[in-house]
Amino acid sequence: MVFKESSKRFRGFITEPKVIALIIGTILYVVVMVVATLFYFNRDLILLSTIVYTIYYLYVTIVSYTRIIIIKRVKPIPFSGALIPIMSLVIGLLLSSIILSLARGISPVDLFFAVGRAFFQLTVIKDLVILTLVGISLVLAFTGAVWNIGSEGQIHMGMMVTTWIALFTALSSIPFLAKIVCVILAGVFGALWAAIAGLLRAYAGIDEVPITLMMNYIAYYILDILVYGPWKGEYTYGYIRTDEIPHGMWFQRVWIPGLPSLTATWEALLLAIVIGVLAWLLLKYTTIGLRIRVLGSNPDILRSSGISVPLTIVLALTISGFVSGVVGAVYVLGDTHRLGYPIEGQTANHGYLGILVAWLSMLDVRAVPVAAYIVSALRNAGLLVQIAGIGGTETMFVFIGSVLLTYSVVRILSEYSVKIRYR
Amino acid sequence: MVVDIILNIAPVFITYYLVALGHGFFEKSGVLNLAIDGLFILAASVTFAVSVYTLNPWLGLLAAVIVDSLFGVFLAYVTTKFPVSHGAVGLSLMFLGYGLGLVVGTPANFYASAREINPADYTLKITTDIEIAMYVIPLLIGLLLLHILNYTKLGVAIRASGENPHAAASLGVDVLRTRLIAGAIGYALIGAGGAFFTLAWRSGWDPKLYLLGYGWIAFAISLSAGRHPLLTALNAWIFAGLVRYQFTIQVVAGLGTEAGKMLPFIAAIAAMVIFNITPLRKILATPASLGKIYYKEEKTV
Repeated sequence: MVFKESSKRFRGFITEPKVIALIIGTILYVVVMVVATLFYFNRDLILLSTIVYTIYYLYVTIVSYTRIIIIKRVKPIPFSGALIPIMSLVIGLLLSSIILSLARGISPVDLFFAVGRAFFQLTVIKDLVILTLVGISLVLAFTGAVWNIGSEGQIHMGMMVTTWIALFTALSSIPFLAKIVCVILAGVFGALWAAIAGLLRAYAGIDEVPITLMMNYIAYYILDILVYGPWKGEYTYGYIRTDEIPHGMWFQRVWIPGLPSLTATWEALLLAIVIGVLAWLLLKYTTIGLRIRVLGSNPDILRSSGISVPLTIVLALTISGFVSGVVGAVYVLGDTHRLGYPIEGQTANHGYLGILVAWLSMLDVRAVPVAAYIVSALRNAGLLVQIAGIGGTETMFVFIGSVLLTYSVVRILSEYSVKIRYR
Repeated sequence: MVVDIILNIAPVFITYYLVALGHGFFEKSGVLNLAIDGLFILAASVTFAVSVYTLNPWLGLLAAVIVDSLFGVFLAYVTTKFPVSHGAVGLSLMFLGYGLGLVVGTPANFYASAREINPADYTLKITTDIEIAMYVIPLLIGLLLLHILNYTKLGVAIRASGENPHAAASLGVDVLRTRLIAGAIGYALIGAGGAFFTLAWRSGWDPKLYLLGYGWIAFAISLSAGRHPLLTALNAWIFAGLVRYQFTIQVVAGLGTEAGKMLPFIAAIAAMVIFNITPLRKILATPASLGKIYYKEEKTV
């Protein structure tokens, strides 16, 4: 930069309206501070004016004199599949620890200890298995760019069928058969519940996000009606809930000699492995998988090669709903063993956490267990912090929100480069 | 009698109408707004916290408007400046809204119960005048937005950014600035709607608000009215009646509590289906570039 030019630029800078406003703003700020501190001590006024002044100062000095340029990369950066989830996790956790420490005065160090401790707790494994299944379910839909946010509702439909079979049919006297029927029928019901949204999306052109989301609430209330009314149990100690399902149908807890008992179950582990492998094979080697992948990247190609786009959309959502429905069976048979009332406040929001899992896995079935491990550790960290004094739900939502937000913005770095230039 | 019934709907009407109006106005600019439910709950919680601490409902309303329009500006900036998925950013802001709502609301709830502050101390006192105002003011805002959208330069810019941002940009519209303004105005209205939810409709706050899903009903109201400010009023009124007289309908039809809660969601889905399969869809078309990534290759480096 030439000196003469810079001095000319400086003179131009001084006469810009923004800068004049900044100078006036500084004078006003000083006056307000003096008045507020000397004449009547008002902490809120000082705080508010400092915040406003700082934002304006930053705006004038940084934002209005730089610009952000986004350029598409020729090649995506290497290792972006691993780098970007890790980066968004770190930044997202920092963001949420700042939010929680500002709002609640929890020291970020405690929060990080809680998160770190949660990664090595055995209770994580139960969530890990369930979230792997939900994650696989959502990866199947998201690969086709069909945004299934209704996993929660599909899980609840699966829970409904499972409870019905366990409590009200004769099948429960043959536990082995009953478990298989439960898993399959739960999947079918989840698939049907998802298919409603799929049909509406494919043939009436209604965005599937609001439909699947609102169907979650409908599913909650259907279960509430059942639990409060016809399914209310007799041996419930005054609680409004169903009876416990027969012990024979409970999934077997994982128990290895020499280790403390895990909360995960053998059947759930088996289902997660089988469904995971099947989903990977489906997406990689079958025609249906190829169609779903093309649907996600370029539906026009599907259309021009004579394959029905609406049918593919319905198929993607239905398969996704099937896996989510199976999760419902796993959840009831392996974990809760009964339904409570109101159901919407009692389950663990696995359907929503699954969205985070699917995104963090970069829509790769093989990476889903890793992402599920991270997310279940975060959820358990939320529970640990809850014991330390603040609510688990809010910590969980702040974690999900900030990690997902960082992820969706940071993700562009693999394909675009972001540069900051002086204007 | 009939007048009473209609006036009783007012608090619900103003909530739904303002939220749906703001949502529709923002989406006209081409940003897919999936953050609506979370930021609606955030606005309700911020209003609750500020009104409890200051015992002044209007300050609560102001705070909710400011907080939500900041989030709206953020959403518009991120989705326009960076080639990111509108859906992903919107949904993550929804979760953040739920979380922040709980973070803000829970201590205020403890404060209120420790100091024995009743809802009557910080919410609006509903009189007939206020109920009439709750009909008139939002309708005036709706007319104003209709005027802005159809007869002003800003409105043309907003609609152009929603239909085809690239063409708009080449004709000299600053797409980013337009969407920022639309985001600020739209979310200011959503924030105001959330404020009236706490101040007039619910008269209070509880930690399970995020389970209600009322923001999504507002989403459906706006969508099934084709984002038209005045049709939105009609839809919002019908849904407000449905929700306000939920219990009456339950009793008359012999339904349970849960069936009553379920009814608005079924009606919302039905409204969206009706809108989408009838000619209404053609007349009040969705903005062509709604939710599409707006990426402009930089020529100068």
